[in-house]
Amino acid sequence: MLSPYEKILFALLAAVSLYLASVTFRRMIGTIKRGQGRLAWDGLPGRLWTGVKALAGQNIMIRNRPLVSLAHTGIAWGFILYMAVNLVDVLEGLVTGFVFLEEGAAGQVYRLLVDLMTLAALAGMVALLIRRFIVKSTDLAVAPNVKLHPRAAGGIRRDSLIVGFFILGHVGFRLVGASFDIALHGPDPWQPVAALAAGLWSGLEPSVLTFGLHASWWIAIGLVLAFLPWFPFSKHAHLFMGPFNLMTAPGRTSPGALDALDFEDETIEQFGAGRITDLDRTHITDAFACIMCNRCQDACPAYATGKELSPAALEVNKRYHLRDHMNSLAAGGEDTEPLLGYTMSESALWACTACGACTEACPVGNEPLFDILAMRRNQVLMESAFPNELKGAFTGIERNGNPWQMAGDRMEWTESLDFKVPTVAEKPDYDVLFWVGCAGAFDPGARDTARAIATVLHRAGVDFAVLGNDESCTGDLARRAGNEYLFSIAAEGNIETLNAAGADQVGRKRIVTGCPHCLHTLGNEYGALGGRFEVLHHTQLIDELAKAGRLAMPGRDETRTTYHDPCYLGRHGGEYEAPRQALAAARPSLVEMARSRNRSFCCGAGGAQVWKEEEEGREAVSDNRFREARETGADTLAVGCPFCARMMNDANKRAGEPMRVRDIAEIVAESIRDDRE
Amino acid sequence: MNIIALVKQTPDTAQLSASMDGLKLSAEGGPRIVNPWDEYTLETAIQAREEHGGKVTALCLGPPEAAEALKTALAMGVDEAVLVSDPAMADGDSLTSARILVAAIRKIGAFDLIVGGRAAIDGNTAATAVQVAALLGVPLVSYVAELRNLDPSDRTLSAVRLLEKARETVTSRLPALITVVKEINEPRYPSLIGIRKAARANIPIWGCKDLSLDAAAVGAGASGVEWRTELPPVREAHIEMIDGGPEDAARTLVDRLMEEKVI
Ligand code: SF4
Ligand code: SF4
Repeated sequence: MLSPYEKILFALLAAVSLYLASVTFRRMIGTIKRGQGRLAWDGLPGRLWTGVKALAGQNIMIRNRPLVSLAHTGIAWGFILYMAVNLVDVLEGLVTGFVFLEEGAAGQVYRLLVDLMTLAALAGMVALLIRRFIVKSTDLAVAPNVKLHPRAAGGIRRDSLIVGFFILGHVGFRLVGASFDIALHGPDPWQPVAALAAGLWSGLEPSVLTFGLHASWWIAIGLVLAFLPWFPFSKHAHLFMGPFNLMTAPGRTSPGALDALDFEDETIEQFGAGRITDLDRTHITDAFACIMCNRCQDACPAYATGKELSPAALEVNKRYHLRDHMNSLAAGGEDTEPLLGYTMSESALWACTACGACTEACPVGNEPLFDILAMRRNQVLMESAFPNELKGAFTGIERNGNPWQMAGDRMEWTESLDFKVPTVAEKPDYDVLFWVGCAGAFDPGARDTARAIATVLHRAGVDFAVLGNDESCTGDLARRAGNEYLFSIAAEGNIETLNAAGADQVGRKRIVTGCPHCLHTLGNEYGALGGRFEVLHHTQLIDELAKAGRLAMPGRDETRTTYHDPCYLGRHGGEYEAPRQALAAARPSLVEMARSRNRSFCCGAGGAQVWKEEEEGREAVSDNRFREARETGADTLAVGCPFCARMMNDANKRAGEPMRVRDIAEIVAESIRDDRE
Repeated sequence: MNIIALVKQTPDTAQLSASMDGLKLSAEGGPRIVNPWDEYTLETAIQAREEHGGKVTALCLGPPEAAEALKTALAMGVDEAVLVSDPAMADGDSLTSARILVAAIRKIGAFDLIVGGRAAIDGNTAATAVQVAALLGVPLVSYVAELRNLDPSDRTLSAVRLLEKARETVTSRLPALITVVKEINEPRYPSLIGIRKAARANIPIWGCKDLSLDAAAVGAGASGVEWRTELPPVREAHIEMIDGGPEDAARTLVDRLMEEKVI
């Protein structure tokens, strides 16, 4: 199709474009390589499949914003198809007489597909541009109290506009070209959209049509050549960095399981992330993958309640910083600007509840939570600059083995029971080790839950024992607050205790705990430090016992009950069913909150929040969640975590006690008691 | 500025147990901690150094295990630490302790400021620092809640003392000894880098010989005071349930509280 001169021009432009693209792409890769650790590449076939699925499936997005995602899917599929189409078009342009798939059935299907996907991409793009620039959807804005790179707000708009026009121009002129082709060579029923457009050109001279065909080809392909080197600087890079990020996702035992730090190696002098190059490579990749869609921000309890934190702003700020420093970083230059500062304020850093909603919501597998915890590590381990209230909790774990700094007896909670709770020393042949947790041992409300759990186990005839005063804080709060050193000491101590108690005999002995935070550290995080145990949440065991017919429950209590998924049982533990089933055994009428299961909204306690004052904002996270629970019209708010219980109880009190807040274990225990009477 | 911080290691009084041998420091019987008041001592000394430069030396008298307290001091950020320890020094009263500390301070050398805590939570005499000041012949400013003006060039300081019902601003010349109360600052939590530095540090131990002290002049034998402590203090408590409707119950409660002279 192209003339010899055009072919030479194309070759030249393509060479320049590819050269420039190789420079900018190498810079982006060089920048990612400045991060710590390695990207995960083990099990490559599986990872490639993940990437393909992500590209083709577009699934996570559909879950969160259906209409927008539909528009996006149109663009994405259209664009993916266009990668092949561009190759075909270039070949058809360069090789005289070459027509891809010719006139056969395959060619017809191909042309129809391209024609329709062109329409889908154009329609999707127009819809998204209208949303951003005309409707000005608030989904895309960031609250003014959140730190945002000075150029980001304008930059994202400009970027989106450029990308929008690039896609419209590229895809649109491909369509225009096809329409000229039809006008020149006769109708093609397999390209209905292009055929429709061809009607515009009726009556034009063949020479004008030929010029139009060539001009369209040049605009469609030229835009790609022009755009290619700019990719790494634009948010459009998510097109491939998104799937790349999902493909290289580190295999974690839970979405929030942190990597341990090496304290033995004396040559390591940086703990946590003080500068951007202290982040793991996968978290630098996050910034390049980010679509700046704010889905994580929508899900974030800190943001929703007016704190200075937005996980989206964090990724955007990282990205803009990288963009400004990509040349020097890729060349090995040092970046001395503290990460905490340009990415977020101190208040934002300490507002995170480590709930994991951001990682759950992100369509490209970003983990803003990990950056936050890496920065907290730097603040605690390097700078010793953190909210003062946490010091008491740290000291408590260090000296008393519990964050409350309680010196008391860890068996006191058993005294009011009408049966004896044996310790491991008294009953070494136990089947189930009941890990009571510091809350269960010392918090008055959680003691009721601990007693309820013990009662259920006792009634069901489970052979269980507790560690008593050998039990010590798992260190969850220390880890979530950035004090990895204290966590490692706590973990080592507990692993030793548990191993000595025989709890490491997986398959023969199991641990059950009433606290999802203990569940997560013991079950998902101690493994990396050498502690391998089979750990259950109490609702999982109760569910199992109920199904095995070991709990005689009337199940007639029709009190309307709603259930709050604890972040560390749900998102981090992957368990949504067992607590509902356990609850249903006692109370069949469950009313769900709007935000439930993997979209559950945090109670506000996690991430060490319960040990400090809540950061400045519009409202308390717990009040927000409690309001939602109330709106269900349920009488009881069922919980499965002592910290959720505490937050919801406090919110309930502030609201004048309209509800009853109860742990599932308590509800079940009450209903067993009813049955016996 | 040369600053000396007086630090003591004490039992964790939050965790007293009957297994402790009195309040004496020993390896057994509950965790040992930096005397909580001395955390403020260390923070004061470190902040003064951060502002005026110089060096902070932490000085501790105690058994060999007390080196742990000095490790904490080093982790927080003092420059040097000295442990004074000798079996002959054991079980002394505050005056013999003060004599030993003074000998150690003289050995450390010239100083501009000595900081101590308001008391040690175990003995709770609040006397040792006072006696150190007296023996050294330097001014004492006790119960300091705020260090307003520390001026090494002018060789003065001005401090706010916290009294029972008042605050008092005092100026003094340097060198001086101050004791601090918890209102003065918020002690820092040692960073990991600090902890590692502390773990590598070599803490010298000075005994009677190093300080040219006569063993007979220190320790229990030379003390004018002898004491016995019983642990844990026995608390008498009993629970009484008040029956009846809210009004009756309230009335009974008020009567009982007045009877017990609570109100
Ligand atoms: S973990 Fe939760 S609180 Fe923290 S940034 Fe993510 S969504 Fe927000
Ligand atoms: S981190 Fe993920 S969810 Fe958040 S703005 Fe970026 S792409 Fe969207």
